[in-house]
Amino acid sequence: MTVVDATAPGAPASVPVVPPAPPGPARPGVATGRFVGKQAAYWRLMGRGAVLLLFTLGIYRFWLATDQRRFLWANTEIAGDALEYTGTARELLIGFLIAIAVLVPIYGGFSLAALDLGIVGDISGAAAFVLLALFGHFAIFRARRYRLTRTVFRGIRLHQTGSAWLYAVYAMFWWVVTLATLGLTYPWAQASLERYKLRHTFYGDVRGRFAGSGTRLFVRGILMWFLVAGPLIAGLAYAITTINWTALGEAIERGGENVIGRIESSSPNFGTALGFLSGAFFWSLLAATVLYPAFQAMTLRWWTSGLRFGGMVAQSRLRTGQMYGVYLRFMGYSMVFGMIVGVVAGLVFIIIQSLFKLAGDQFAEAGGVIAGVISYVGVMLGYSTIYQVIVKLRLWRLNFETAELSGLEALDQVKAAGVPSSAFGEGLADALDVGGL
Amino acid sequence: MDVAVRSGPGIFFDGTTGVRHAVSVELDRDALLVRAAEGHLLACWDYGELEPLSAPEGMLRLGRLGSPVLARLEVHDAALAAAIDQMATTVDRSGATERRSRTKVVLWSIAAVVSLVIVTIFGVPLLADRLTPYVPLSFERRLGEAVDKQIRGMLDTDHKGERFECGSGATEQEGLAALKRLGSRLESAASLKVPITLAVLRKPEANAIALPGGRIYIFDGLIKRAETADEVAGVIAHEIGHVAHRDGTRSMLQAAGLSFMLGMVLGDFVGGGAVVIAGRTLLQTSYSREVERHADAFGVELMTRLNADAHALGAILVRIDGSSHPGIKLLLDHPDTRDRLAAIKAAALPKTITPLLSPAEWTALKRICGGP
Repeated sequence: MTVVDATAPGAPASVPVVPPAPPGPARPGVATGRFVGKQAAYWRLMGRGAVLLLFTLGIYRFWLATDQRRFLWANTEIAGDALEYTGTARELLIGFLIAIAVLVPIYGGFSLAALDLGIVGDISGAAAFVLLALFGHFAIFRARRYRLTRTVFRGIRLHQTGSAWLYAVYAMFWWVVTLATLGLTYPWAQASLERYKLRHTFYGDVRGRFAGSGTRLFVRGILMWFLVAGPLIAGLAYAITTINWTALGEAIERGGENVIGRIESSSPNFGTALGFLSGAFFWSLLAATVLYPAFQAMTLRWWTSGLRFGGMVAQSRLRTGQMYGVYLRFMGYSMVFGMIVGVVAGLVFIIIQSLFKLAGDQFAEAGGVIAGVISYVGVMLGYSTIYQVIVKLRLWRLNFETAELSGLEALDQVKAAGVPSSAFGEGLADALDVGGL
Repeated sequence: MDVAVRSGPGIFFDGTTGVRHAVSVELDRDALLVRAAEGHLLACWDYGELEPLSAPEGMLRLGRLGSPVLARLEVHDAALAAAIDQMATTVDRSGATERRSRTKVVLWSIAAVVSLVIVTIFGVPLLADRLTPYVPLSFERRLGEAVDKQIRGMLDTDHKGERFECGSGATEQEGLAALKRLGSRLESAASLKVPITLAVLRKPEANAIALPGGRIYIFDGLIKRAETADEVAGVIAHEIGHVAHRDGTRSMLQAAGLSFMLGMVLGDFVGGGAVVIAGRTLLQTSYSREVERHADAFGVELMTRLNADAHALGAILVRIDGSSHPGIKLLLDHPDTRDRLAAIKAAALPKTITPLLSPAEWTALKRICGGP
């Protein structure tokens, strides 16, 4: 039995009670996203997941990731209708196994090549790095494809076309350029890569588009760049121009007792330059930490406001203060957790001490080492869980709730298209440790 | 079947367009009917093909099992959802089916972890033992050359280059000759498949290493602290033991096996790196202690065969170790010196001893790296 043509006459029925209508948009076709998930439920999901990750040494991650996505998708409403995640843990596991099958021979080949004494051995390290970086970007693009094709909204799935290898080459190119320009070209790199991704993203038969401009992001962010990188570059420039490098090299080369003395006599400004440089370094570190939420708010706002699907347009109203709120809360939770960890670590230490006194043999040692490792992993999982709930969940929610969507009347005209893709990209991203959520 | 309600409101998406239909849902005897507000039939799904899908709290979301068309029915009405749950066996809102399958996943994962850990602890060293004889000697030589390049780069911190090996200077020639003599006596008695290459390095530490492919490096510090030629010979005999047992190749196979088991198969979760590093360190040091015990036994046996002082190895070990320091024994890659000494004493048979080098040769060897 299939879906009956909507125009076909049917038997008369009682007038249906229409369920609670979505929050009525002020203007037709305009709405914000809404997140209805309860934080307590997410705490439970992530906490239980962390314990199971510990006991299965990570094998449970496929099920946890699937649960996480189901929760996030199902509780996210756009124009009153909830998203749906249709992926399964089994698909992720198979994707991971395929990735292992592909990567093991490659790793093996590079291990053998590294033993070669000639040119092959010398370049094998660099070649492996480049190839794995390419694979990483390939994986990111293919994993995105998997996630999109497992996302269903109003009975229609998203999908992605385009070549993952081409994307990987673009991404590598922009990555090199961004490094070479000390991050100055980051806005154009992001804009270009997002344009490629969105151009190949479809909701049903509606093609996506990224309208964000790299230049605009550059103008907004250049002050931050100066605050973070400026002093560091000035410090480096000062050090490079004032220090007598050849004399310094000789002084270090000769080594011996009085290296410091000789370094100082070789270039009298060495101390000043070093002081200036370390000061600049700490300034940069501090500025980067303090400004990070502002940077994230800026890029997220820019990204969301650049999303287009046919006539549908997103506009982010995210405020920078909201982002700072998220990170301040995270700091608070982390401090409380840190105190709890301190108390527990003290107790564990006392127990291990008494074990040593009682037994003092290899069993006590083994017990101590195992307890240490488990505590360490427990602490790391704890922080990661706090981060996932306090930061990641909040960001997800903020991003949807501050996004004003217009042109939604076009939703009625969308036609289904696209087929589900394999989870190979997810597995590869997992094996290469580049996976996102 | 008796259910409280037979119909109620719902939202329907037909899976071909994005149009949102407010519908009325009717529970027939065998199938669920979806009717548009105007009364015509939009869908008719058998209870057996209903698939419950991921949904927010308070909503029952249904699709059709195995259908490529993503038609969706969303039911917010609690009484209607309960009725559908009762009618369709595939719908289980209590989550019991899901919990059962999840428990199975967790239990099997833990079983897999246990079996993986056991294979890693016992299987990897066993497999490395079995595979080592099949690694061609030519490969081992190549491996040795690669390792040699790396090791020299690491050890030669003062960039002495050619002069890093002792015996190059004019005053060092006699010492080099004595070393050669000592080496060839030990080597011929050991009857090895790979020729050894013996050298003394200008390093102040009291240590010696054997690389794959038969290279043995004695550090100058060890010769300085040795009191008899047989002590140096004992150390060389121990290192020859590593060469004879092909321990370099074996440990490479072990390391590769461990990296694979711990890094590839397990791993990718927060803190997982620590588990991998701790596991690898513990296992590698335990393999290594085993290997050292065998090399000690080989060295003692070799010295005994040459009528040399088999106890000398024990004597120099105790001297360079100083007092046996307390600490975490599990993290040491050599067995405790006291245990080694006891094992050497037990293995070395009392015999008339002929030193391997004459007093003059020993004096020359002591000056292989120059000095007074």
